[in-house]
Amino acid sequence: MADRREYEVFEVFVRKKKTDAHVHVGSLNAPSPDIALTTARENFLRRENAVNLWVVPRGEIHETPCDEGDWFARELDRKYREVSGYSENGRLWKTYRERALYLEEIVQDLHPPSQGNRPRPRRERT
Amino acid sequence: MTMEQAAQMGLESGYRQALTALLYQLADDELCLGHRDSEWLGLAPDIEGDVAFSSIAQDEVGHAVFYLERLHELGEKDPDSLAFFRGAEAWRNAVLLEQPNGDWARTILRHFLYDLFDDVRTEALLHSSYEPLAQGVAKIRREEHYHLLHLKPWLIRLARAGGDAQERMEQAVMEVWAQLGGLFSLGAEEEEMIHHGLIAWGREELYRRWEDRAKPVFAEAGLKWPGPPSVPEQDGRRGRHTDHLTELIRTMSEVAVGDPAARW
Amino acid sequence: MNQDARHAQFMERIERGEKIEATDWMPDEYRKLLLKLIHMHGVSEIMGAFPEKEWVPKAPTLKRKLAIMAKVQDEMGHGQLLLRVAEDLAAPLGKGREELLDDLLAGRVKFHNVFHMESPTWADAGVIGWLVDGAAIINQAALLDTSYAPYARVLKRICAEESFHMQHGENIILTLARGTKGQRQMLQEAVDRWWESLLFFFGPVEVTPAAQRMIDYRIRIKTNEELRQQFLNKYVPRIRSLGLTIPDPHLRYDEKQKKWLYTQPDWEKFGEIVRYNRGPKSEERIGLRRFAHEEQRWVREAMVRAHKMQAV
Repeated sequence: MADRREYEVFEVFVRKKKTDAHVHVGSLNAPSPDIALTTARENFLRRENAVNLWVVPRGEIHETPCDEGDWFARELDRKYREVSGYSENGRLWKTYRERALYLEEIVQDLHPPSQGNRPRPRRERT
Repeated sequence: MTMEQAAQMGLESGYRQALTALLYQLADDELCLGHRDSEWLGLAPDIEGDVAFSSIAQDEVGHAVFYLERLHELGEKDPDSLAFFRGAEAWRNAVLLEQPNGDWARTILRHFLYDLFDDVRTEALLHSSYEPLAQGVAKIRREEHYHLLHLKPWLIRLARAGGDAQERMEQAVMEVWAQLGGLFSLGAEEEEMIHHGLIAWGREELYRRWEDRAKPVFAEAGLKWPGPPSVPEQDGRRGRHTDHLTELIRTMSEVAVGDPAARW
Repeated sequence: MNQDARHAQFMERIERGEKIEATDWMPDEYRKLLLKLIHMHGVSEIMGAFPEKEWVPKAPTLKRKLAIMAKVQDEMGHGQLLLRVAEDLAAPLGKGREELLDDLLAGRVKFHNVFHMESPTWADAGVIGWLVDGAAIINQAALLDTSYAPYARVLKRICAEESFHMQHGENIILTLARGTKGQRQMLQEAVDRWWESLLFFFGPVEVTPAAQRMIDYRIRIKTNEELRQQFLNKYVPRIRSLGLTIPDPHLRYDEKQKKWLYTQPDWEKFGEIVRYNRGPKSEERIGLRRFAHEEQRWVREAMVRAHKMQAV
C-alpha cells in the first residue's frame, strides 16, 4: 500500500462515558488519521455524546476467524465459576436463619437510588 | 423596539443601538456562511467529509438563530422574518461571506480564516456587558472549536500537496484577501460598542490578534503571507453589499415569500 | 473441501439462522447478489440526497432549514455506511469506493426510480420525507434480519435515524395540510406526482429468479408485493385522513383477498428510467455526483499525497 493514491479504511471506536470501554461502531474512509478522527465524530456521533474516539487503520486489527465457531467453544459444565453454580447457598443459610448475600445488594446499599446517586443524565449538547 | 420597551429592559438607546448592530453583524455573518456551506451538501470531495461539513453548516445556521433570537428579545422582528424578509441593505455581514463558495480550496480557506476571526471576536465578547450575549458565545465557542480542528488540516494539506492543489490554494488566498479586510470592521457603531463594554476590542486589536494566529498556520502550510488584507469597496457592516447577497436572500426566501402570512 | 460441500455447509449456516461476516467464505452468487443490492442501496441514498438538497437553500423557516440540512446529511451518512459494506464485499473483486462511484457515473449501477424524478415544490420535499422515506423505511426495516451481518448492523443504525426522517416529513406535510388553500393544493399536487413512483419503488409483483435467490439466501425475507401491501396499509388511511385524494380510482382494500387492489404503475416506463437513467432528473443529478466525484478528485489525491509527504 506504499503507493496508495486512495483513502484508507479506519475502524472507529467510541467511548460514551468515562466509565465505559470503547465500542466498535463501524468504519470509514479517510486520507489520514487526523481527518479520520474529525469525520468520525460527525459520521458516527451526530446524535450521541461521547468522551473519546479511536480510529484504527483496518490493517492493524487482528481478529479471530468469524466462521470458526469452535474458536469460542465452551461446551462442558463451568457452573463452578458462575453464580448459578451456588444456588444451594440459599438453602444452607436458611438453616442458620440467614440468607445468601449477593453483590447486587452490596452495590444497592452503597449507591441507594433514592439519594440521587444514580448516574446523572448527561448534559444535552447545545 | 419602542423607547418604552427599551426603558423596561433598562437599556438606554445608545446602548441598545450598538448592541443591535453588533448582534446583526454576528447573526448575518453566520447565516451567510452557513447558507453557503450548505450548498456543498452532496457535492463535497468525499462522502465522509460531506457529512462533517454539513455539521459545520448546521452549527453556523444554529448560531445565527441564537443571535437572531437575542435581537427579537430586544424588540426586533422574529428570527424568521429577519432571515427571510429583510432587504440586503439591512444585512450587516462582511461582504466576504456572501460570495459564492468557489472551489474546495477557497471554501476551506475562507471558512478557516473566518472561524479564526470569529474565535477572536467571540473571545472579545466573553465578558460583554450584555450578559445573554456573553453566556451564549461561551457555548458557541465550544462548538466552533471543532471547526478549526477540522478545517486546519485540510487547509495545510491542500497547500502543501504541491501541483494543482497548491496552485488552487494560492489562487484562493489572492481572491479571499481582496475582501478579507471587511471582516474586522465593526461598522459605524464601533466606538459605542467599546464604550458600552459590549465588545472588548476594536477592529485594530481584533486584526492584530487574528494575524498572530493566522500567520503561523500560513507558515505551516508553506503559504506566503500576503500582508494586511484589503478593505473591500463595500463595507457590509454599513449595509453595503454585492449583488451576491441579494441573490442569496432571493433564493433563501423563495418559498417563504410565496405566502408570507402562511405557516410553513 | 470441494465447492459443493462448502456450498452445502454455507447453506446449513444460513438455514440455522447464522449471520455471515465479510471475511467468511461465501458462494460467489451470494457475494454478487449482496453487492448488487447494497451497492444500489448505497448509491440510492447518495442520489436521494439531491431531490431534497434542492430545497435546502429555500427552506421557508430557519427551523426547516436546519432540519432539512440534517436530513440530507443523514442520507449522505447512510450512503457512507452502506458503501463501506459494499466496499468490503467488492474488495476481492478489486473494487473500492472510487470504483463503486465510477460505476454510478457510468450507469453500471442503478438507483431507485424515485430519485430520478422532479421535486418542483416545497411540498415535494415534504412528500419525499413522508412517503418516499416511508416506503424506504418499510424496505429497510424488512431487511433488519438479513443473513449478512455487516448489512444488518448498518441497517440498525440507519433505521434508528429514519425515525427522525419520518417525523420530519410528517411535520412538513401536516403543516401544509393545515395551511392555506394554496398550500393544500401544493401538497395534493405533490402526492399526485409521487404516487405512481411510490408503487413502482417496491419492484415487480412477480418474484424474479434473482429475488428468489435472495430469499433462499435469507438476504431478504419478504417479497416486493408484501412490502407494497404494508405500505398501502400504513399510508392510504393517513393520506385520506388529511382529505387528500390518491390518484388511482381503482385503489381499494379487498376484504375477501385481504389485500389492496391498485392500478399497476407503468412498469415499462419506470423500468427504462432506472435501467437507462432516463428520468426527468437522472442526467442532472448524475451530473452533480460527477462534479463531486470526478471534479473533486484533485482534493482526495492531494490529501493522500500531502499526508504521505508528511509521514516520511
